[in-house]
Amino acid sequence: MFIGIDVGGTYTDAVLTDGSRIIAKKKAGTRHDDLLSSLLEALDEVIRGQDISKIKRVVLSTTLVTNIIAEKKHPPVALVLAPGPGLSHAGYSFDTFTGIVPGAVDYRGREIIPLDKKEVIRAGEEIRRRNFDRAAVVGKFSCRNSSHEILMKEILEKNCPGIRVELGHTVSGQLNFPRRIATTMLTAATRDIFADFVANVLQSLQERSITAPAFILKADGGTLPLAAALRMPVETIFSGPAASTLGAMSLSPRGQTSVVVDVGGTTTDLALILSGEPLLASKGAKVGRFFTQVKSFAVKSIPLGGDSAVVVREGRVQILPERRGPAYCQGGEGATPTDALRFLGKVDLGDRARAEEIIGRLAGEVQKNPVETAGEIVSAACKIIVEAIEQMFINWEQEPAYRVWEIVRQTAIRPNNLVGVGGAAGGIIPDAAKMMNCDAVIPEHAEVANALGAAAAQPTVTVNLRVDTEQGTYTVVEDGTTGTVPKGRTFREEDAIKLAKDHLFALADRLQVKEYVKKIEVVHSEVFNMVRGWSTTGRIYDICVQTPRDILFYMGQGGECR
Amino acid sequence: MSGRDKTGLVFFPAFDWAISPTHPEREERLLYTRDQIFEEGLMDLPQISEYKPRLASFKDIARTHFCVPRVKDQITEAHLVAAGAALVIADALMAGEIRNGFALVRPPGHHAMRVVHGNRGFCNINNEAIMVDYLRKKYGLKKIAIVDTDVHHGDGTQDIFYHDPDVLFVSFHQDGRTLYPGSGFTNETGGPTAFGRTLNVPLPPGTTDEGLHYVLDELILPVLEEFKPDIIVNSAGQDNHFTDPLANMKVTAQGYARLNEKLKPDIAVLEGGYALETALPYVNTGIILAMAGLDYSNVVEPEYRSDMFTLSRDKKDRIKVVVDELKTIWKNREAIDLTAMRAKNDFYQRQKTIYYDTDGINEYQTEKIRLCPDCSGYISINSQARHHNGIQHNILGLSIPFDGCHECREEAYAEYEAAAGKKVHNFVYFQDRVADVYRGYSRDKDREWEEE
Repeated sequence: MFIGIDVGGTYTDAVLTDGSRIIAKKKAGTRHDDLLSSLLEALDEVIRGQDISKIKRVVLSTTLVTNIIAEKKHPPVALVLAPGPGLSHAGYSFDTFTGIVPGAVDYRGREIIPLDKKEVIRAGEEIRRRNFDRAAVVGKFSCRNSSHEILMKEILEKNCPGIRVELGHTVSGQLNFPRRIATTMLTAATRDIFADFVANVLQSLQERSITAPAFILKADGGTLPLAAALRMPVETIFSGPAASTLGAMSLSPRGQTSVVVDVGGTTTDLALILSGEPLLASKGAKVGRFFTQVKSFAVKSIPLGGDSAVVVREGRVQILPERRGPAYCQGGEGATPTDALRFLGKVDLGDRARAEEIIGRLAGEVQKNPVETAGEIVSAACKIIVEAIEQMFINWEQEPAYRVWEIVRQTAIRPNNLVGVGGAAGGIIPDAAKMMNCDAVIPEHAEVANALGAAAAQPTVTVNLRVDTEQGTYTVVEDGTTGTVPKGRTFREEDAIKLAKDHLFALADRLQVKEYVKKIEVVHSEVFNMVRGWSTTGRIYDICVQTPRDILFYMGQGGECR
Repeated sequence: MSGRDKTGLVFFPAFDWAISPTHPEREERLLYTRDQIFEEGLMDLPQISEYKPRLASFKDIARTHFCVPRVKDQITEAHLVAAGAALVIADALMAGEIRNGFALVRPPGHHAMRVVHGNRGFCNINNEAIMVDYLRKKYGLKKIAIVDTDVHHGDGTQDIFYHDPDVLFVSFHQDGRTLYPGSGFTNETGGPTAFGRTLNVPLPPGTTDEGLHYVLDELILPVLEEFKPDIIVNSAGQDNHFTDPLANMKVTAQGYARLNEKLKPDIAVLEGGYALETALPYVNTGIILAMAGLDYSNVVEPEYRSDMFTLSRDKKDRIKVVVDELKTIWKNREAIDLTAMRAKNDFYQRQKTIYYDTDGINEYQTEKIRLCPDCSGYISINSQARHHNGIQHNILGLSIPFDGCHECREEAYAEYEAAAGKKVHNFVYFQDRVADVYRGYSRDKDREWEEE
C-alpha cells in the first residue's frame, strides 16, 4: 500500500491506495500555522484500522518551504559573489548584504582572475560585524570550476566562527549566475527549518510504527527520500501543481497527450501531459521576486472559475475574469457559471431554485429562454478554456530552440484528452473537449488528486555531464562533481555516455533511490570538435541522461467517462 | 515593460550544422557565446525578449537571389533558419513588440551576391539582404541603411544593392589588399543610379577602437543623419576583434559595444567572427547590453591589456585620408546627371569576375541596368560559372525593382521569354518584385517553375 499526502495552501488531502484502487481518503482544511498537525491528522485518518506493516512508502507534498519564503520567515543570508567580467555588478541586488570580490573563471573553467583573498576576508569581517550566521557563496561559472567557491568557504569559515556557508555549484550546476545566486541564497535560508520539519515527520512516522521509507515531492514531479532532500529544500516548492497533475495523470489513459484542467472557484489551472510526460517549464521557477533554477511543471493559470462573475453586456452574457463572491445558488449575489451548470443539472451544488431564479433573470435581460441562456454561459466558459489551451500549446511550440532539427520538425501536437478536476469540471470539460475534438476524462476521486499524485510519484534521477577533452576534465551539473578524463582523441562519445550513466548510478546511490533506476534514457548527446590552429585539439561532450519520468501506477485507465 | 523598451533576441547557434567538421563555420562556433550569455542570465533581463527562429520560405530567398539551379540546391535547413531568424526580428520590430533586435545566428551571409552558384566566404544566402527585401515588400519600407561592421568587405550585400538608390550600404573593413575578399575600395561607390549609396572604408591592419570610432563619428553617423533611413541594419561581424585568427585588427568588445550604442541599429544580424573563445562570448554580450541600453563597461576580455591598443600616427593619417575622400563622394552623390541617358532608355553595363573560395567556382558576369526615367530600372545579369569539377552553368537573370514601371516589367519579361525560347542559357530567371513572383526556366528539362 502507498500513502500520499499533500499539504496545500487551503486543503490537506491524503490517500491510501494499493495502486489499483483507493482504500481510504481524507480531505480537510490546512492549518496554516501548523502544517505538521494538518499532515498528521490526514495521515491518521487514512491509516486508521489498516495493517501498518503493508505500507510500502509514504510520499509528502508540502507548501512548507513556499510559505517560509513567501512570508520571509527565514534567517537572513549574506552573499559573497565573484562575478568577474560581464554584467555590471550593480545589477546583483538580492535585498541583503552582498560582498563582491575580485576573481573569475571562464566558460571552460579556466581561472582568468585569481581570487582576491584579502577581499574575501574583508567581506567576512563585514558579515561578522552584521551578525549573519549563514552565507551563500557563488562564483560566475562556478559550475565549470568550483575552486574559488571552495576557497571562499574556507576563508569565511576561518574568519567567521560558526558561519554556515552554502556553495553555488553544489546547489545548481546549470548556467545562469543570477539564478544560481538566488537558489543558493534560498537554500541557505530554508535548510534548517526544513530539516526540523523532516525530523518531526520522521519521528511521527516512527511513533506510528510506520517503517516504510518516506519521500518528499519536488516541483519537477520527482521524489526524494526525506533525508536526501535535506540538501535541496528549495526543490520542494510548488509541489502542489506537480501533485495535482500527476494525480490526474494516474487517473487518465497512460502514454497519451492530455491537458489537465483544474477548475477552481476563481481560477482554472492548466497543465500539459505530452505523450505521457508532464511538461516542465523551460526556465526555473520564479520564487517571490527571484528567478531560481528550480525545475517545475509548466502550469498556466487563467482567471476563470465556477464563481466568476457573469454579466450582460450589449445584450449578451459575458464572463468576467474576476470573482465577486460565491455562486448565486450557493448564497451569492450575482450570476456565475456554477449557476448555469446547476440550472442545466450538470453539477449538484447549491440551491436549484436560486439557480433558476438568477438564470431566469439573465434570460429576461438577453431576451432568450433560460435553457439557451445557461447554455451560452457554459459555452462561453468552454471557449475561454479552449483558447487558453490553444495558446498554451502555441507558447510551448514557440519556446526557443537551438538546433536545426528542432525548428524543422515542427508538427502541431494537440491533446487526446481533457482531464477535468475540480468542482465545476464535470459540467464544463465535456463540452470543451467536444470543441477541441478530443475525449473528456472526469475521473472519480479527483478531489484527492493531489494526494494521489504524491502517492504515484517516483524518484527521478538526471545527470548532465560536460566533458572537455582538451583540458581532460569533466563536471556533473547536478551536484558539481568534477573529475578527469584522458586528454585528446582516445575519449569517445560512447565513453562520455558511459561516464554519464556511471554518475547517474552514483548519484542515485547517494540519494538512496538506486532501486528505482531500471532504465536510463539518453536525452541528448552533443559533440563539439574543438579546432585550434587548423587541427582538432579536443572535444566537448554535452550529455544528458535520466531515468524515465513516469509514475508508479495508473488507476482506471480512462477513469470514469461521463 | 512595453515593446518600445525591449531588445529582441534570436539566438540560433545551429549546434547541429557545420560546413565541415573542422571548418571555422562549425558547431562549436557559438558554444562559448551560449555559455556566456546563459551564465550572465541575459535572457531573464526585463529588457530582453527571446524569440524562436522560423524557416524562411524559398520565395523569401528568391526575392533577393538568383540561386542556381534553384533555391533548394543552394541551401540547407540551417540557412533557412538563420535567414528566418532575421525575418522573425523584422516582424517583431514592425509589430512594435521590440525597440530593436539582434539575430545572433549562423550560418552567415554577407558574401552571398545576387547570383548564387555556390558558397563563398562561408556564405550561401545573404540574411540581411533577404530581410531588407522582405521589409520593403511586406511593410513597404523605402529607405534602408546597412552598416557592415565585419572585418571582411561585405561584397555580397554591396553587389545586391549596388544599383539601389534607396539602400545605403556602408562597409568598413580591413584593407582588401591584405584580406579576403580583396575588394571594398573607395572607388566602389554604387552604380550610376545609386552613386554614393555604396561607401567603402578600407582600414589599415591594426586599426583600433580609436580608428574605428573616428570613421563612425566623422563619416558614418553624419551620412546616416543626412540619408534619414527608415531603419538601420548592422551587419554585425565580430572579426575586427584583436584576437580574431583570420584577420589583423585591434578592436575590443568595448569598441564594438560602443559602436552599437552610437549607431543605434534597429536590427543587427551576426556575420563573421572566428575567435570563438577570446572574442565572441564578450563581443556578443557587449552588443546585446549596448542594444538593450544597459551598462556594458564591465564586459572585458581576459586578454585585454590597456597598453596594447595605440594607433600609430601614420595609420591615423591614412584613415583620415580615406574618410575625407568618402565625404567628398557622399557630398557629390547627386552630381551625376543621368537625364540625357535616361531619356534614351540607355543601359549601364559592368563586367565582374567572382571567385567562390569555399566551393571553387569561377563566375563571369555581365550586369546591365536600364536607365529608366520612370523607375529604378530593371537589371539583367548574364552569368557563366565554371565549377572545379567541370560543371558549367550559363544563366540569365532578370530582376524588376520594387518600384518597377510597367514598361520595364514588360521589357524584362519579353527578354525572359525570348531567352527561354533561344535555349542559350541553362537557366533563365525572372524576379518580379512588383508582383512578388519568382520564376525560373530550365533548358534541359524544358520546364518552368515558381519559387514558393
